[in-house]
Amino acid sequence: MYNDLLHALPNVFALTNFIAVVIGVIAGIVVGAMPGLSATMAISVLVPFTFGLEPLVALGLMAGIYNGAMYGGAIPAVLLRIPGTPAAVATTFDGYPMAQRGEGGFALQVAVVSSSIGGIASAFALMLLAPPLSRVTLLFGPSEVFWVAVFGLASIIFLLGGNPVKGLISACFGVFVSVIGSDPIFGNDRFTFGRLEMLDGINIVILLVGLYALPPVIDLLETPLKTDGVNSSKLGTESIWKALPRMKSYWKTWLRGSLIGIWIGILPGAGGSMAAFMSYNEARRTSKTPETWGEGEPEGVAAAEVANNADTASALIPALTLGIPGTAVAAVMLGGLLVHGLQPGPMLFRDNPDIVFGFMWQFLFGAILLVLLGGSLATNSFARLLNLPRPLLGAVIIVLMLIGVYTIHGRMFDVYLMLGFGAIGWVMDRLKFPLPPVVLGLILGGFAEENLRLALRIGRGDPMILFQNTTSLILVALTIAVIVGPTLKRRYFDSRMKM
Amino acid sequence: MKKTLAAVAVFLSATAAQAEYPEKPIEVIVGYSAGGGTDVMARTVAQFLEKELGDGASVVVKNMPGAGGQIGFTEVAKAAPDGYTLGTFNLPAALALTKDRDADYKVNSFTYLANFVEDPNTVVVAASSEFQSLGELLDAAKAEPGAITVGLSSLGGNDHFSANMIAAASGAEFTLVPFKGASMARTAIMGGHVAAGTMALSQTTSFGDDLRVLAVLADERSPFSPDVPTAKELGLDVEMSSLRGIVGPAGMDQAVAERLRAALSAVNENPEFQKMMADQGNPMVFMVGDDFAATSAAQDSVAAKIWEETPWK
Repeated sequence: MYNDLLHALPNVFALTNFIAVVIGVIAGIVVGAMPGLSATMAISVLVPFTFGLEPLVALGLMAGIYNGAMYGGAIPAVLLRIPGTPAAVATTFDGYPMAQRGEGGFALQVAVVSSSIGGIASAFALMLLAPPLSRVTLLFGPSEVFWVAVFGLASIIFLLGGNPVKGLISACFGVFVSVIGSDPIFGNDRFTFGRLEMLDGINIVILLVGLYALPPVIDLLETPLKTDGVNSSKLGTESIWKALPRMKSYWKTWLRGSLIGIWIGILPGAGGSMAAFMSYNEARRTSKTPETWGEGEPEGVAAAEVANNADTASALIPALTLGIPGTAVAAVMLGGLLVHGLQPGPMLFRDNPDIVFGFMWQFLFGAILLVLLGGSLATNSFARLLNLPRPLLGAVIIVLMLIGVYTIHGRMFDVYLMLGFGAIGWVMDRLKFPLPPVVLGLILGGFAEENLRLALRIGRGDPMILFQNTTSLILVALTIAVIVGPTLKRRYFDSRMKM
Repeated sequence: MKKTLAAVAVFLSATAAQAEYPEKPIEVIVGYSAGGGTDVMARTVAQFLEKELGDGASVVVKNMPGAGGQIGFTEVAKAAPDGYTLGTFNLPAALALTKDRDADYKVNSFTYLANFVEDPNTVVVAASSEFQSLGELLDAAKAEPGAITVGLSSLGGNDHFSANMIAAASGAEFTLVPFKGASMARTAIMGGHVAAGTMALSQTTSFGDDLRVLAVLADERSPFSPDVPTAKELGLDVEMSSLRGIVGPAGMDQAVAERLRAALSAVNENPEFQKMMADQGNPMVFMVGDDFAATSAAQDSVAAKIWEETPWK
């Protein structure tokens, strides 16, 4: 197998194949940076066009876009507090406060270096460990996956801090949105009001754009003359070579975030935003100065960005070996492979080694190229946008949002839906309800429900099915630790103080 | 006089349509997203159909995913029957949707042009499973009704119908577990989370080392896996498959429909097309016109019967 890996390398450097990766990365950064346009969408638009392309050109474009977009989403997240992609939500926590302090340039550099490291780690996992890791995926049946979702929800609600009651209400709203559409087992309509458009549920991008992009845009339009008083229009960019030494101390966060991202990637369904949140939580929990997190701690940006890129290539492990994509983007890429007659499964590696392993190399090079292309080029040109008059910037973003949401399914209904969520988001923002739990509630709520119900069907209604094997029990223990851990820790410290 | 003129005009425009068809791009609506099995088939057919229609004809695939394909099927059924809107048609999925909800189309809302793919269902277990034959599996399901879990790609599809038909024919009772898609069901079988599955044959072929196919639900053995017996050989008269073809809206102009049928038949006879379809893992069964319509009507009554006996929602 490792022979095949080396054998595939020369092909990757064929001029057209290499240019495809470069173009892909640049396009990915641009797409990711535009609120409303996501990697999933860019690749689904691309798939039909790749029908006539050489496989490695098509796959190179896709690998580049995926890597580029996962970083690109950080650009508006840092500069405007608008996550460009669902996976960039956690990047806003510390990225935007940094930009307000005039350190936006450094925040973006941390983001690009971290993204690149995550992408490289993930590509290595895909190249070297795909077959054994796919066996890990097999361990996760419905009951195990249910516990993963519960663990994810618990860690978000209990660790994200802030007002837990408001957090819980936000999460419940997200879970409620996940209920809309046909139910995952019988296909009964729930809260669809007879609209076919609602049957498949609410697309995460519609919710994200509405909740996250509309309120800041309204702010931009509301304050035509205000330059928001702080330094967010200054980036304070310095050469990446000067910035790199400042990031030395993040290696632990990078390592942890990469492992979390790879792990989330090989589980079907959860995807980049969960990876970013979990990595952020873990990094903050182990930080010596957790109080600076959320106030503009560069390590927070590093934690989020390393993890959301670390699940890119690893999400393809179950996709290529089992045909079950780890993320929405991987699902679309699987379509791209199918178009070229590449059927997922163990045979794929035997029948088409040059293409499959070439594709893996392209992931690696895409991740490396990210530093070069994203570092100076993209960061500088996008930062210029901030010098635009604020109402103009707001108007440009609104147009992008409308186009982006419209193109998901090509229908106005989604646009109205997005505007509705925008109104809700604006109210929540004013009342200081946290938005991240809504996004995770939507992603993990549906995931938890579907798998709980499948597990119960397998157990013929007996809930003990949920506790029947080691993997489940480990996840239950982790969930309990997340919920009671902080309280126990506090008790322990209190009692020591008294002594 | 007026009537005659009108009739002449209609006649003229009809012949004109026949002579010039197609004078603008033909759209093929796919009710699923780009890159799925149906989409890939549509794009492959479109590519060859352009050549067969000749004269710079253009065939464009348009994806309208959503509601399990219903949005796309409805779009085709309601389109003008002028030959410029065609669609992919999936059996039994498209017709199952007309049973479990109020769909805006029926079995006779379409002009049946040609079917290309027929993918028979199977009974499959993990390679590590204790069940070596269909008989052993069914005996276990009879010994303890409901103890055997069967993973499906969804309720109301060919996997589900297969499981129900086997249960009815053998007297066994299964616990049905509808996953989201065949790959998820397959992974659950491979991981030992469910005991068996009824997925389509093409879903099993790449996983020969991990899966054991116990039976094919077709009237004869498949060239894709000639060692696997049919259910009929094993004493169970059950046939179920998923079909993919091309239809237009009902009431299409006869001449245009015949032109398309001829062109699609020519596509099917093209060895290059056959090779591409085989590479994509598609078992081919070509049916044109009335044969296709008859198969669809038969599938419709199967779906109606199952819905009546064991409604799934």
